[in-house]
Amino acid sequence: PADARDAAQARVYSAPAPVTDVARLCVCDLLVAQCDANCCCDPDCSAEDFSLFTTCSVPLVIGDSQLCSQKAAVYSLDVEANPPERIFKIIDQVNPSIFCIHATNYKQALYLKSPEIPTAENFDQLLDKFGGATFSAEPDTWNLDTDAQNPPEANETSRYEYGVPVQTEDAFLRLPSPVVSSWCSDANPAGFLVNQATKCIRSVSVKKCDSIQALSMLFYINSSILAAVFQVNITVQSIVVQSLHGMRTLLSSSDVLRLPMVLDELCINAVFGVNYHITHTDTGEIIEAAAAFVLGAISKEELSIEQSFEISFTQENTQPVPLSGNPGYVVGLPVRAGFQPQGYPFPAAFLFASLALSSNKHSQLTILHSTSTQDCLAAQGARAPVLFGYNMISGCKLRITAAMKCQPLAQTLLDVLKGQSFPEYVASFGNSQAQDVLDWVPITQLHISEQMISHTLQSSCQIPVSLGIEVKWTKYGSLVNPQARIVNVTATITTTTLKQLPSGRERIIPITSSVVFTDISSPAEPSYKAWPTINIKLPFDFFYPFV
Amino acid sequence: NNSSQLSSLPLQILLYVNGIYYIFYFLTTLAMIIYKSQVFSYPDDFLAPDLAVLFLMAILEVPRLYLGFKGNLTEAEAPLGLSLGLTVGSVVLCVYLLLWQTYVLWADVLLNAVLLSAYGLESGLKVTAIAAFVS
Repeated sequence: PADARDAAQARVYSAPAPVTDVARLCVCDLLVAQCDANCCCDPDCSAEDFSLFTTCSVPLVIGDSQLCSQKAAVYSLDVEANPPERIFKIIDQVNPSIFCIHATNYKQALYLKSPEIPTAENFDQLLDKFGGATFSAEPDTWNLDTDAQNPPEANETSRYEYGVPVQTEDAFLRLPSPVVSSWCSDANPAGFLVNQATKCIRSVSVKKCDSIQALSMLFYINSSILAAVFQVNITVQSIVVQSLHGMRTLLSSSDVLRLPMVLDELCINAVFGVNYHITHTDTGEIIEAAAAFVLGAISKEELSIEQSFEISFTQENTQPVPLSGNPGYVVGLPVRAGFQPQGYPFPAAFLFASLALSSNKHSQLTILHSTSTQDCLAAQGARAPVLFGYNMISGCKLRITAAMKCQPLAQTLLDVLKGQSFPEYVASFGNSQAQDVLDWVPITQLHISEQMISHTLQSSCQIPVSLGIEVKWTKYGSLVNPQARIVNVTATITTTTLKQLPSGRERIIPITSSVVFTDISSPAEPSYKAWPTINIKLPFDFFYPFV
Repeated sequence: NNSSQLSSLPLQILLYVNGIYYIFYFLTTLAMIIYKSQVFSYPDDFLAPDLAVLFLMAILEVPRLYLGFKGNLTEAEAPLGLSLGLTVGSVVLCVYLLLWQTYVLWADVLLNAVLLSAYGLESGLKVTAIAAFVS
């Protein structure tokens, strides 16, 4: 049995010998033990099968056609005979060309090379040679080229481009985010200049408090970011501790690394949120990285917590003001607004006047945000930013009782409609800078009284019932790439007279506020490039003999 | 003056024609090797020996013809004998190109056969001339 096995193995190691006899070669014989249609050289076909054929698909079987003289098998059908029969002849084919191959001493010239059969000994070598996606006839030179290409790659991590993952020592800067489901996935890399904010759910347990890596501060700051020549360490900017009830306190010292540990059946110092701030230069090199943590406590009953992550990129020596478009406004981005500082009207102050801007939400152009209770007096403070291009309407219901005094009510309603700090200027372009005062459009305030001709006295007080902001914008620039530019903003307050109610009665008045964007673009004007001028000048010495 | 002139005229004519024919032969064989390397599969380890033989033959041909001319004209048997020896080497190389080249085309066969016959005739005439000079 051992001998038979060895013999069988020995047989397997060699590929079958190539067939070179033209009488036995048949290219169209594809079916095993069956007759192929119209295949005159098929040995499985009988005379009856041949009588059914119409033509011979392979009329000539020959070796290399460039040989000077060789044997060829010719197959043809004799359709005159009844029944049709196949004619098989072996002839000497002669190539009359003077460049025909008379003889060859190179065995593989006329036949395909038999491939090496893999064995246990040569398998590794064959895998190295042919295992990749491509292989060439000369693998040695190929290897030399790839070695030479490796060193230049080290320099490419210095400069980042938009969207490129931020690389750290071990892999990428991770920003855990929900993938498919709401559970946190740690495999999301942070892209350069891509400001992201994600929230995801992490499954926790108090018992495994110190073994879950994602709850520890160290997990987020231990690897340093690869940038330029050196590596940038992630510093801890601030630590906010959140109690079980949700109250947050900012810790005064953020040098100490607080790791999660179990205390009184609570897991304290667990990471609830991380806020990365990366500072970069204008050429794309990262120079600083800081992380602000929110640490909290997990109680025994909680099986999962929600973690929130954010990353923001700021250029060095600039104020981080988010642009709403560059230069024209982009639909969906907030309308930028601001206030003028004191002393603006004086021309001398033009040079120094700059509008006080902040990325604070409360200084933007905002509109009343409807709440579920729909009660105006209870909903104070809920504002929504005005997004360019989105017409919005919101409102609330005001319940007026007899005991309400008019003047304080009017002031309260004005605050509800306009918000705490209603801006005075709106940026006309999405990227208007605070220094360019002419790029800012003043908000025109109008007052309309509902009852213009009324029988009531002037002194009776008016309460505002609606605020309508109309933003007129135009398309600016070229026809193929128009930019949105705000031209005019008008805030209209409509007031109505508050009629005194008899005691015990109450009335419900709807209060509305709306924003409308109107396109006042003028039709596009064709403009031409400068007309070509014909420059005809006679040569200098045209009138030579006379001048 | 046949008795005083021992130089062989047929040998001289043959040597002269051989020189011209050899230039044609060398250029044609080189062109055909280039053609073969483009059209057929001609690996480097097979191309190198064929080219080496061809160039070696060209290097041998120059002194061989010069010595033949000189020996025949000065009626000296030493250069003619040396030329005969070099002819033997050229014959061997010519046989290689005729039989043992990687690809032997029909044109190769013709060219080499003509050259081989020229060498054979030359050798015969040289032997006759040496015999005439010696005696």
